[in-house]
Amino acid sequence: MSTKLFSPYVPRPVTLVEKTQLSDFVTRFTFEQDNGKPLAHKPGQFVNLSVYGVGEAPFSISSPPRRANITFEIAVRRIGAVTQALHALEPGAKVGLRGPYGSSFPVMKFVGKDVLIVAGGLGYIPLRSLLFYQLRHRDEFGRMVLMVGTRDPKERIFVDEIADLAASGDVEVLETVDMPDAGWKGNVGVITTLFPKVDLDAANTYVAMVGPPIMYRFVIGECRKKGMASDQIFVSLERKMKCGLGKCGHCQINELNTCIDGPVFCYTDIEAYQEAI
Amino acid sequence: MTTYTVYKEQLPELFETWSRQYALYVPGKLREGFYDLVPWKKGQEIAWEFDVAYNSPKRFLLPPKEALITFNRETYEAAPVFEAPPQILFGVHPYDVKAINQLDQLLESGSPDQNYVRRRDATVIMAFEPLTVSPPAFWASVGAASVAHGYDLYWTKIGPASFTVEVGSAKGEELLQAAGTVLPSTPGDKEGARRAKARILAKARRNGLRYNWEETPRLLSKCWDSPLWRRYSQMCLACGSCNLVCPTCYCFDIREEADDALKKGVRTRYWDGCMLESFAKVAGNHNFRPKAQDRYRHRYFRKGKYIYDKIGELGCVGCGRCVRACTAGIANPLKVFNELWEETAHEY
Repeated sequence: MSTKLFSPYVPRPVTLVEKTQLSDFVTRFTFEQDNGKPLAHKPGQFVNLSVYGVGEAPFSISSPPRRANITFEIAVRRIGAVTQALHALEPGAKVGLRGPYGSSFPVMKFVGKDVLIVAGGLGYIPLRSLLFYQLRHRDEFGRMVLMVGTRDPKERIFVDEIADLAASGDVEVLETVDMPDAGWKGNVGVITTLFPKVDLDAANTYVAMVGPPIMYRFVIGECRKKGMASDQIFVSLERKMKCGLGKCGHCQINELNTCIDGPVFCYTDIEAYQEAI
Repeated sequence: MTTYTVYKEQLPELFETWSRQYALYVPGKLREGFYDLVPWKKGQEIAWEFDVAYNSPKRFLLPPKEALITFNRETYEAAPVFEAPPQILFGVHPYDVKAINQLDQLLESGSPDQNYVRRRDATVIMAFEPLTVSPPAFWASVGAASVAHGYDLYWTKIGPASFTVEVGSAKGEELLQAAGTVLPSTPGDKEGARRAKARILAKARRNGLRYNWEETPRLLSKCWDSPLWRRYSQMCLACGSCNLVCPTCYCFDIREEADDALKKGVRTRYWDGCMLESFAKVAGNHNFRPKAQDRYRHRYFRKGKYIYDKIGELGCVGCGRCVRACTAGIANPLKVFNELWEETAHEY
């Protein structure tokens, strides 16, 4: 094989096959790899996606790893130039892809244990890849508890999917919104208000959490109150992963490169870093 | 390896020969007190006395603007762009060679940056022992007064019209002999080179860290909450000048442009700087280093600790360029590290 013209900055083409609106601003995109191969990612990893002429941006992979299926999903909030351009695409359109990049949730560690998944806002998107990967092997895990917190009911995403999960009995689902509207009948308050509502076998539970930057320190505080140790806590952190190769410097958390050392970190490994949480 | 002695009258022919195959850059005087590596042309006067090239040599290996890929918006095909013109950098001071050695390690590690690697392969580095020291420089105190490798030839001026040239690579030796015979140095010439190095080292040592540079990471790990960061950074203009002139800063941004017909385009990387306000900003305008203090501290931690933890060397080679470039007068690794040292001296 000739490696002469290899450059890690060159994306490969993938094709948009399905687009599903999840809320006013969030859409799920399903892509198919043009090379005919599965993406071969691990839950928690991300890809760098290009709309040529507009730019490239990192997105968490939302679908679980698929062995024989060449599709994968991301879910995107329309907020900047690239996400705006993505939303304008229709099935059949192509985008450029680099990755998957970064670390992943250590699923093998979770085997035989209870797992608490804490999803704040768009945090459910990357956690979905972990959640559905585990559900495919449901017998291998103990209890699975999912906490979902959203700012207001209008912004909830994957509403039917989460309702189905709750109904299936495979996952215990707790949901809350910060700012309820007239129709909301569920819990009200930030995501930490869900913690007193659930009994956890602290010594036997792993936590995976993704949410807005402000969320982590409070949720970690709640985990501590429940008696969980740092090495039972896994977080995925957002930074500006521009090159995905640990070179461009934008995603640094102290000396860590989020794009290669993260985005998924065991809390033990980042506790000492002032810029992490 | 062998050391040769070369005389000034041999230089024009050597330069002439090299310039036929390479883009040749030599130290030139721009105006009083300002020097830079400039393209060589016949009759170009060499500024042997230059204290520092105000631009660092990183621009030859990692240009301020460099195309990475071309893309086609219709087929969604993309191809790498590699540009690596053969070039000779004549007159690189050892601290800058050290900076290049660092870039080599950082950009080649993990998934190697192919654009950098190719440019580096096409570049011949001819180091030159400094004859003067830039006033804010402190390279002698951060282990950057000499380099063991990273150069193809190492030139030391031992007399008004003579140089010793240590060979660092086969390619260097070949280039040295490209315009006729050069003779191996006599023991006396070698002694002359040793004395020239000692002389400049003595001058350079007048300005320096008040402690062993290897203590810097340990020093910084105690100083995250020091009031110094705010004291200096409150004057920061967030202009990124310190990043631009730094020989070891290599952070970059990636942007792209399509042609008029929106069919094809180029994705280009540009130098970026961690002191710029938007450096750590993500979608939705959340900024992970919103305050000048956060950014200023990050830069010094990167130079003094993070790079050290990766490769065992300071990320600052003591060239003093940022000190001269900073409009607010706050970029000064020597002052910062020394003051932090004073602040924490009672803990030792």
